[in-house]
Amino acid sequence: MAKTKYILGMRDAFFTALYPLFAANPKSVFVSADNGAPTLDCFGDNLKNQFYTVGIAEQQMIGMAAGFALEGYKAYAYAIAPFVTLRCYEITKLDVCAMNLPVVLVGVGAGYAYDIMGPTHHTVEDLTVMRVLPNLKIYSPADGICAGALAKITFEDPAPQYIRFDRAGISNVYPDEGTDFTQGLVPLRRGKDVCLIACGVMVHTALQVADQLRQRGIDAGVVDLFRIKPINTDRLLGELNGVKRVVTMEEHLLAGGMGSAVLEVLSDAGFVRPVLRIGQKDRFVFDMGGRKVIWKRYGLDSDSVTQRVADWCR
Amino acid sequence: MASVSTLHGGARLTADLQEKLKRKAFWVRQKVMEMAVRAGSGHISSAFSQTEMLVALYQGGILRCRPQEPRWSDRDRMVPSRGQGGIGFYPILADMGYFPLAELDNFCGEGSRLGVHMEWEVPGVEIISGSLGHGLPIATGMAQVALNEGKDYLVYCYLGDGELYEGSNWEAAFFAGKKRQHNLICIVDRNGQGVLGFTEGDGTSRDGPGIEPLDKKFEAFNFEVRVIDGHDYGQIYAALADVRTRKSDQPLAIIAKTLKGKGLSLMENQRMWHYRVPAADELQQALRELQLDPAAVAAPAGGKTAEGEQGE
Repeated sequence: MAKTKYILGMRDAFFTALYPLFAANPKSVFVSADNGAPTLDCFGDNLKNQFYTVGIAEQQMIGMAAGFALEGYKAYAYAIAPFVTLRCYEITKLDVCAMNLPVVLVGVGAGYAYDIMGPTHHTVEDLTVMRVLPNLKIYSPADGICAGALAKITFEDPAPQYIRFDRAGISNVYPDEGTDFTQGLVPLRRGKDVCLIACGVMVHTALQVADQLRQRGIDAGVVDLFRIKPINTDRLLGELNGVKRVVTMEEHLLAGGMGSAVLEVLSDAGFVRPVLRIGQKDRFVFDMGGRKVIWKRYGLDSDSVTQRVADWCR
Repeated sequence: MASVSTLHGGARLTADLQEKLKRKAFWVRQKVMEMAVRAGSGHISSAFSQTEMLVALYQGGILRCRPQEPRWSDRDRMVPSRGQGGIGFYPILADMGYFPLAELDNFCGEGSRLGVHMEWEVPGVEIISGSLGHGLPIATGMAQVALNEGKDYLVYCYLGDGELYEGSNWEAAFFAGKKRQHNLICIVDRNGQGVLGFTEGDGTSRDGPGIEPLDKKFEAFNFEVRVIDGHDYGQIYAALADVRTRKSDQPLAIIAKTLKGKGLSLMENQRMWHYRVPAADELQQALRELQLDPAAVAAPAGGKTAEGEQGE
């Protein structure tokens, strides 16, 4: 089903789909901590009183969004992913999640997307810290098609939510139309030997790995688990039914990340299979050279993952 | 019980009203002491520093509110950023009719909705509280909505001076000042104390790094500033008389100079009463000064003891 085409980045696809929803709903507001996007300009230019920038002040961004939400508004708050999550964490915990307000946090730069910018901009612990917040839903889309669909999904859902986007330059996994993103996961490929569960940019890697494994005689499936919380356990178990082994793939620290979340639901469901988690170990990354260098060095590129899974399946 | 407050803002302080408010304030302090001793918990000294200001706002008719309709859309919003003062809010809210007075007797007890820190689900309480530096960012959102929609409700944010060390307040102040949120009123309980020491102390290791000049700080953020004695009804009314009619386009910061523990000689402006409940001889003295019957506080309601605890 893959139809690779270079289009808008996830963030821009999302904002483009979000704009008409804002235009039709004056009681919606977008707050930025001095972060922009070409597709975001129209919010401030055209929609009166629906776009604010608070400066580089993430606590104020989220607190003020909560204030709008308490007055009946749908609020989005937007910054680079590490700053919309960890920098102002307690504001989100209390003012958004504890009061269960319709605030959507939008972070750009998931994983090592900001590769050469160092640990300040790497976002490889956000899933761990955000998924422990009660009431919060978490999305990590793999492409602009899914990201665009999430505009409507997040707008219509009154729950607190967090979306993490990759940067621009990611090709599309999904066809332009026809995919149902309401169930929290999409099976991209089915295989009986092993199922690769991935999120974000690693979905692309997983598809390559599945190809490479097939050449080695291993029949691998791929699931795009773009909703990390809550995991749609019934659907996931359905996809894993009859599969011999499970691999999780995330550009994120292994401690507490998507793989951990999958293990939790599998364990709680009494679903017993060998599970291999691919992700980053307990380390900060200062390596220059770009994302591919980081992937290669830390075993996150498709060749490394293929080898590891093939050895593990042997 | 007041049903609908109608004076809001233009309220005049008559001699009769002042007498009434003094009686209310004394009653509030009595209730706070009762509740704290029974529950073995609560920030008594924080409640005592804010008593006159809150009594004036609520029972003195300054705040526009409908206790029978807590979420009335045109109410003035009271955002309690300084959630430690919860034990002092509850008697006032109950007296106004937001919830039954009887609930005060079960402060912090099983089944009670009245905890040490106020939760937003308590009638009359706008936000979750307990962690400092949260109220003002939220208040700026509420105030902006009113400006955008042409609503005339005011947004009060009740702040402790110690919490102004939290940077989030100043993140919010940037926005409020720039957006000319003239419907935002920050009231700072300037009691001069934190948990360990004084904000402008003599430099001991327990004193804070200093807040003054606080008026100039707010002015630099484009606030109008009024400094008053927060225990003086005359000054409170003078400072709030024109809140609905003033021509300024600036947010208003009222720095209310107060004393932590005001009204109880052993606690007033003393160190180490932030989260302590009097016991033994101190308790006897407190009961005498507040004219409380020891029997009124004799039966613990199963609350936990706060002995030795510090912090927020």
